[in-house]
Amino acid sequence: MNGNHLIRVCGLKKHYKDGAIKALNGVDLEVSKGEVIVIIGPSGCGKSTFLRSLNLLEVPNEGHIYLSDVDITDRKVNINHHRQKVGMVFQHFNLFPNMTILDNMTLAPVKLKKATKEQAEKKAMELLRVVGLEDRAGAYPNQLSGGQKQRVAIVRALCMEPEVMLFDEPTSALDPEMVGEVLDVMKRLAADGMTMLVVTHEMGFAREVADRVIFMDEGVIMEEGTPEEIFNHPKNERTKSFLNKVL
Amino acid sequence: MPEWIVKLQKDFITAFVEDNRWKYLVEGIQNTIILTFFALILGVILGVVIAAVRTTYDKQYTEIKNPVGKCFLAVGNWFCKVYLTVIRGTPAMVQILIIFFVIMASSDNKMLCGIIAFGINSGAYVAEIIRGGIMSIDGGQSEAGRSLGLNYVQTMWYIVLPQTFKNILPALANEFIVLLKETAIAGYVGVTDLTRGANIIRGITYQSLFPLLAIAAIYLVMVMFFTWLVELLERRLRKSER
Repeated sequence: MNGNHLIRVCGLKKHYKDGAIKALNGVDLEVSKGEVIVIIGPSGCGKSTFLRSLNLLEVPNEGHIYLSDVDITDRKVNINHHRQKVGMVFQHFNLFPNMTILDNMTLAPVKLKKATKEQAEKKAMELLRVVGLEDRAGAYPNQLSGGQKQRVAIVRALCMEPEVMLFDEPTSALDPEMVGEVLDVMKRLAADGMTMLVVTHEMGFAREVADRVIFMDEGVIMEEGTPEEIFNHPKNERTKSFLNKVL
Repeated sequence: MPEWIVKLQKDFITAFVEDNRWKYLVEGIQNTIILTFFALILGVILGVVIAAVRTTYDKQYTEIKNPVGKCFLAVGNWFCKVYLTVIRGTPAMVQILIIFFVIMASSDNKMLCGIIAFGINSGAYVAEIIRGGIMSIDGGQSEAGRSLGLNYVQTMWYIVLPQTFKNILPALANEFIVLLKETAIAGYVGVTDLTRGANIIRGITYQSLFPLLAIAAIYLVMVMFFTWLVELLERRLRKSER
């Protein structure tokens, strides 16, 4: 096994309704530490399913996912343990509405005994300061704007000190003027060396931040390359027609 | 004084004051409250357990790795479904008669029979209220919890159930009110609840007006008081909603 890859995916397949709908139809991918990968593609192409299967929120029917050389699709593996190392940010934020921002962030580290309450709160406050929300620590999610909620969701995931961060269309549910503040946080995270996989429609972000862009369609990776290769010299016809529509 | 007022006065005294008959009602209130309270506790315990089995089966069955656990869960789920079907499909009156005259025929503790009968009955409704509440929580909440590394039980306990409780409180209060009023049939198996208290007075005095109006008013006041308590609780729980 190759120790350089943080994530290695082999032949991943996922189908619904006894194979009638193939969401993933054999996906292979290797992700190195510190790499930023942006996944683009038309809706229903399987990009979200693929991202969600990386921490087994979707259980694949076939194939293997190696996380730090451990096959997490193995039934014997304790998936909860591995999910702690994989942060996830959702399109609809999924903050816990009945808890303050601070409690949202400290719940998992404290309950999973990664830190004492004091340590977790100190770390949470530091992270909130980085994203400019330290004065909202005692607020409830409903009192925040969409952009603020998503920034909290990102730092909530960071509280677990993950090795990789997954972003599932993190800006799709935001008002246009709030997209920038979330992308800024993600850019800073990328600059700090975090390994990231991002499903997004923000082509500007992909161009600027991605080390590699992946174009998915019909449950497979159609084309992958540097942003320069994909956006300026796409080879695949599907990639070309998709980019023509969105750019 | 008009004659009818004098008659009412006399009837009132016959119904409540003579021979301290008001004590039947006081005893009835006590028994109704005891019966409702313990039946509620039993009902909630049963309801939580059944809702837990049913929800876990629906959400987790495919994820459980241990075949023995899987088997237990499937059997448990089947029992829960049968319980819900039978209890919700038969009248409470019939259930309490069966418990008293068939299942617990050897016991002469009427109150215990009543508590068990009403608890089992209420449990079925509470279970479905809780299950509905759990299902109403956006799936993203438990996904967020699981993605942070919390296991199924932790996610349920810390994230889903607190939100569920707030949502189902009105329905639970409703179920409690129904239960409180339904205990009026406990008299059929000899529990001297509030309604039976009134019936005893009626039997002695041949008067219906005052005893029946009195217990109607007492039930009403009890329900209003309880509704007020629930409103207080709801207001406290809603403080995270701006």
